[in-house]
Amino acid sequence: MRRSSSSTSAPESLYALATAAARSVVVVGTAKNAGKTTAFNALCAVARRRGTPVAVTSIGRDGEPSDALDAEPKPRVRLAAGTLVALPVGLIPRSPALAILDAGAESALGRIVFARAVLPVTCEIAGPPTARAMRATIDRLRALGEGPVLVDGAIDRIAALAGGDDAVIVATGAASGATLARVAAVAADAVLRLTLPGRDRARERARVVRLEGALDARDAEALLADARDATVVVDDPTRIAVRGALFAKLREAVDLRCERPLRVIACTTSPVGRDATLPPRALVEAVARATRLPTFDVVADLAA
Amino acid sequence: MIDSAAEKPFDADAVTAERIGLIWLRAAVAPVGSFGRRHDESIAPYGPGNEMRARAEIAEIVALAERLESDGVLRLRAALRAVPEPSPIVARARAGDALTDVDFYELGRFVDALDALARAWDAAGGGTERRPPVLDALRGILARGRDGGTFYLADAFAPGLRAARDALGVAEAEFEVRREAIAARVRDAIGVDPVGEEFVILRDVYDGPLPDDVLIARETPTYRAASIRVVLPQRDAALARLAEEEEEARRTLAERIVGEADAIVVTTRALGALDRLLARVAFAQRWGGCIPSFVNERVSFDEATFAPLAEALSARGRRYTPLSLDLRGLAVLTGPNMGGKSAALATAGFVCACAALGIPPPARAASLPLFRQIGWIGGEGPHDRARLLSAYAAEVVRARDTLAAASPRALILIDEFARTTGPREGRALLVAFAEALRARGAFALVATHFDGVAEAAQVPHLRIAGLRGALQAAAGAADVDAALDEINAAMDYRIIAARDDYTASDALALARLLGLDEKIITRASTLYADEA
Repeated sequence: MRRSSSSTSAPESLYALATAAARSVVVVGTAKNAGKTTAFNALCAVARRRGTPVAVTSIGRDGEPSDALDAEPKPRVRLAAGTLVALPVGLIPRSPALAILDAGAESALGRIVFARAVLPVTCEIAGPPTARAMRATIDRLRALGEGPVLVDGAIDRIAALAGGDDAVIVATGAASGATLARVAAVAADAVLRLTLPGRDRARERARVVRLEGALDARDAEALLADARDATVVVDDPTRIAVRGALFAKLREAVDLRCERPLRVIACTTSPVGRDATLPPRALVEAVARATRLPTFDVVADLAA
Repeated sequence: MIDSAAEKPFDADAVTAERIGLIWLRAAVAPVGSFGRRHDESIAPYGPGNEMRARAEIAEIVALAERLESDGVLRLRAALRAVPEPSPIVARARAGDALTDVDFYELGRFVDALDALARAWDAAGGGTERRPPVLDALRGILARGRDGGTFYLADAFAPGLRAARDALGVAEAEFEVRREAIAARVRDAIGVDPVGEEFVILRDVYDGPLPDDVLIARETPTYRAASIRVVLPQRDAALARLAEEEEEARRTLAERIVGEADAIVVTTRALGALDRLLARVAFAQRWGGCIPSFVNERVSFDEATFAPLAEALSARGRRYTPLSLDLRGLAVLTGPNMGGKSAALATAGFVCACAALGIPPPARAASLPLFRQIGWIGGEGPHDRARLLSAYAAEVVRARDTLAAASPRALILIDEFARTTGPREGRALLVAFAEALRARGAFALVATHFDGVAEAAQVPHLRIAGLRGALQAAAGAADVDAALDEINAAMDYRIIAARDDYTASDALALARLLGLDEKIITRASTLYADEA
């Protein structure tokens, strides 16, 4: 555990780690209000400070003034001049005007439009509804610009990233538990699932079980009863629908693999939850220890 | 548009449409774009009284099919498919709704797509007539915001835009300077780097007074969440001014687009007509086609291709034999099994349907009326099965309905009517039905295996030429595909006048070719000879 040095802040360190790992970086949250958009904004702010033009989009909808479900205030998304953005027609701010570059897939809020901020602008962002369209959107943003592509993601909708070279940052915090131990356990569980290793045919066990679709609790029980010591292969980590102790037990019992792995590189923490506030430093430490990943609090400027 | 002076246009029920290839034909000449589909749906098929218009449309298609390169037609259709739809944008602009920058971007794409289409037309050798329109005026209106295929509400669109943007740029820079100054104080005093909207100050790191313009959002025993406040009224004013200037620029731009709305609408109609035309040109280039003579007394064609069957045969590597027919009123058609009687009926319907749809019939030549109705009797369709009608019942119901509409403007195609009932009663019913159709002056082609129908009904008798004699005794083929190839090679599919009222079905020879046990064939031949 360290406090960020004065020369390299937590946001700077996270940005450097993420952009060194991949051209596109996706932030996903372990729960609603886990600090996902805050971490995303911190990455954007670092890029802005460095003068690096980035491209941004969202899996889901982010940047609205308040949450559509609980009316809680939400962080807005600020685009610096030169930022590329993919967002639906319905969310394009009328002023300052964006330069419209291209149009892509349909979404519930209209066609996804690729645009460039000419002047700084605050807006909501959202992305396409399907995994394939999300993949195409990220790839188009990569083609349109040269800088990093930053995606405000959703943990249950990142199948599009599986098998790709994108880096994933897991945002967690007091929104997913009232105690340090609970938050750390939820984060560890999420990271364990998302870091499911890729299939290695040379090292597979004698029996290989290939599961199509989701691996749910019933599948897990059946595998524990019948397929101990087998290699079990799912399509990608998002197909794992079991959580907690059952998942840990399964992971221990079988050689669990996926065809298309994800690359999880770091965690971020947010100490503020709706029902609890946790000590920031202890939270960063606990999550780092539980996930064994570099962990950052980008608002308290902490890293572990 | 339907010519109000014309009689009721051509029509065919679902069973007939399937049997004569009308469904296939409509799909084959379907336009590729939304303009074309809209245009196509607005045009009714030609019926009696529309002969001049039908001939003119077909003549234009034939001429273009000869003049345009077929690859060029493919490229033109691809270019048409890529033209975006401007109509909703134009409609909203006309209604006074505010347009968005994406609307202007889409109109820019529309202009570009028109240019690409016109280039494709020239490259295909299209000439000046029918050349797709381009919208130079619209291109000019949007030009100041376009760079390549992109659109930006550029400063040049309104006199106040540049100043408003400059003012906002200055205000944003000032905002950043002030924010960074406060952030520097935070870093110096507290050691936290406030990059985002909000930052956290741990009490065990710093619990003293905060620098000016740092606001506390919330406090807990272990930390304070804070944000930087930059008060800069001129930034808010610059944002508001820019918003007004940009809206004014969009309003002005939308008004200018309304000024071009009629031209845009006319252009989309022209694109629709071109899309329909090119779909038919592509059809004619693939299947060939003639300009038919519209006459009242006969349905005749030379070397016509029933394209759906030709396509299916081609997919299996088999050759299609074009058919010729000269039908004057009603005729009975007989011939061997697998000799193409049903195909001959379908070809007659297909050729007439092509003419009714303004498509060159795929034939060397054709003379025919424009029919109000084409009807098929024979077998049952899905609708009949849903009504739990037997094959015979379905045929009788269709015969009843067809007879009610029979006239010199109807073509009735009868495929082995009453074959599923007793042969004596079935034949009698068919003769009586043929007499009734003849009395109503309908055109009809009656395919049957019943003997003596033509003589009894006193109508011409045509027959399929049938298996060539030398091959009738060929040994059974090893498999069905090989047998079909052999039959195809052995069969003379020509429709010729029958010299007497008896036509062999060649059933036994075909059964042998298809590999039925030779003992059964021999026994059947003996029985058949005894009966004869």
